[in-house]
Amino acid sequence: MAGTLQRREAIFGWRLIAPTVIIIALLILYPVVYNIYLSFFQVSLNPEVPNRFVGFSNYGKILSDGEFWRSFGITVAFTLITVGGSLLLGLGVAVMMNRNFVGRNLVRALLLLPYVTPLISIVFAWRYIFLPIDGPLVQALSSVGIMDSGTDIINNPNNAFLVVSFFNVWRNFPFVYLMLLSALQSIPAVLYEAAEIDGATRWKQFTNITLPELYFVIASVALLRGIWNFYKFDEVYLLSKFAGTMPVYIYETAFTGVPQQGVAASIATLLFVVMMGLITLYVKKVLKW
Amino acid sequence: MVKKRNPLRTVVFYVLVVSLVLFVFYPFAWMISVSFRYDTDAFKEGFFQKFTLDQYAQLLGFKESIRQELSEEEKQLLTLVKNMPEEQQKQVLAKIERDRKKEQFPFLRFFRNSLLLAGIAAFTSLVLAIFGAYSFSRIRYPGRTFLQRSILVVYLFGGAVLAVPLYQIFVGMGLTRTAFSSVVVLFIIYVLNTLPVSLYMLGNYFRTIPYSIEEAAIIDGCTRTQAILKIVIPLSMPALITVFIYSFMIAWNEYLFASIFIRPFPTAYTLPVGLNELFYSEHAVWSKMMAASVLTAVPVVVLFMLMEKYLTSGLTVGGVKE
Repeated sequence: MAGTLQRREAIFGWRLIAPTVIIIALLILYPVVYNIYLSFFQVSLNPEVPNRFVGFSNYGKILSDGEFWRSFGITVAFTLITVGGSLLLGLGVAVMMNRNFVGRNLVRALLLLPYVTPLISIVFAWRYIFLPIDGPLVQALSSVGIMDSGTDIINNPNNAFLVVSFFNVWRNFPFVYLMLLSALQSIPAVLYEAAEIDGATRWKQFTNITLPELYFVIASVALLRGIWNFYKFDEVYLLSKFAGTMPVYIYETAFTGVPQQGVAASIATLLFVVMMGLITLYVKKVLKW
Repeated sequence: MVKKRNPLRTVVFYVLVVSLVLFVFYPFAWMISVSFRYDTDAFKEGFFQKFTLDQYAQLLGFKESIRQELSEEEKQLLTLVKNMPEEQQKQVLAKIERDRKKEQFPFLRFFRNSLLLAGIAAFTSLVLAIFGAYSFSRIRYPGRTFLQRSILVVYLFGGAVLAVPLYQIFVGMGLTRTAFSSVVVLFIIYVLNTLPVSLYMLGNYFRTIPYSIEEAAIIDGCTRTQAILKIVIPLSMPALITVFIYSFMIAWNEYLFASIFIRPFPTAYTLPVGLNELFYSEHAVWSKMMAASVLTAVPVVVLFMLMEKYLTSGLTVGGVKE
């Protein structure tokens, strides 16, 4: 009797989750495999014409392409800068917001704006403040001599990725700050009281209590942000078409000009393999699972 | 414990807070300022300029945009046209009509498309997630842990990796030929995009509802399905709304897949694709773009502020997929 009841429960459980599992299997796991398959073909744009098998020639093509390596380097730099930047800023802000002060609730609400505002809206505001000559931020920076007001920093391939990195830190630090703040609040106050009695300075308390207590959260947030920023397309592409990170490179190869979707698939496969390797390494070494 | 307050420290602290607020709010301040300006003032130096609601009125269709009004030349043509032979008359009128259509700023259409698509996708994802999360959090069966873990693996894939194969799959199915089928494709992708987060957040929430309530109902003769509908759903309203808003925001923001699948069909443009296309076309009128940006942001920001308490805790508990 108990056996059939358990079986009925199990069947019910599977029925409830089945639609989700089917959708995810069909539209995420299958495409990942299909992507690897496509990377060995010259993909035709006409559904009537079959794809042509080309072996490893797509891989040969991209690995010998300087553009690919440049874009790979930019992506790594972009990921490191944005993860580091948003962690530092997020940590600082979390420590500040952990204190009581007049107007804290208002400030906390404002701090979430960069993260929750629709990307397309805020991207236009950033393009405006960075406009050469007319942009207010460009005017402000040039008036203190940091830059020349005539430079179009967004549409200049040499430094567009720095502007994009800065924007990414601005947009995503609230996420880091929220995660760290809730972790900060769960550190027992007795630890700080004991340290104070022992005569530890604020800085000593920060490095010897706060940071070790936050280690796991910081490492996990860094992993999440790292994965998301490595694959980040919209925040980069909508601000500047010239930032040249890998996802942008894939998009342009696959969907603009003369589309080379087989080549794009092989770039995506490489990106994916590199990412998996890095994640495994990180989880073992840093998170110590 | 009473701490001594160092006044200098307090001053430094408040200076830091103020600069933080400035840093965060700076682009928003300009966005709002420029959105209330006349087109000709868009680049005037100085934060405050002559105030006007024109841009908003035009976007929302309360007022004809200047570009929709007839140009002087077209007006003259209209008077001349009356003396022309009928065939020519038709041609000229059609040309004027075409030009006017081209110059409209179809903000409301983009807005409606985004609202429908994001709303329906978020709702579908929520319904699937309620049942899925219930299954994860309440029912024991072989393979459950494995399924839960594999759904989180989705976090490891970015849109950039899936774009090409998904495009090929949907082209192969013939779903990219019409505007409607392309929107359906987007709908499926958005549900897919939001499901893992919704499942994870709801699963965590359902575990906080005491099982004894459902147990009592089941003993009284409720079926499992009734228990979900009559007990679990009403008890988790705040969580459901949170999950809905998150899914809505993800779909409202999405650009990559929208640009791939609906680029050929301007009638189906969502806000991100539509506004970006307009920006690069002749309509790059800054004041109007800023007003459109404000209008795009308002629904999401208002929703978020109203639900801030639930949403921030949801964000830290569930983590949000981007």
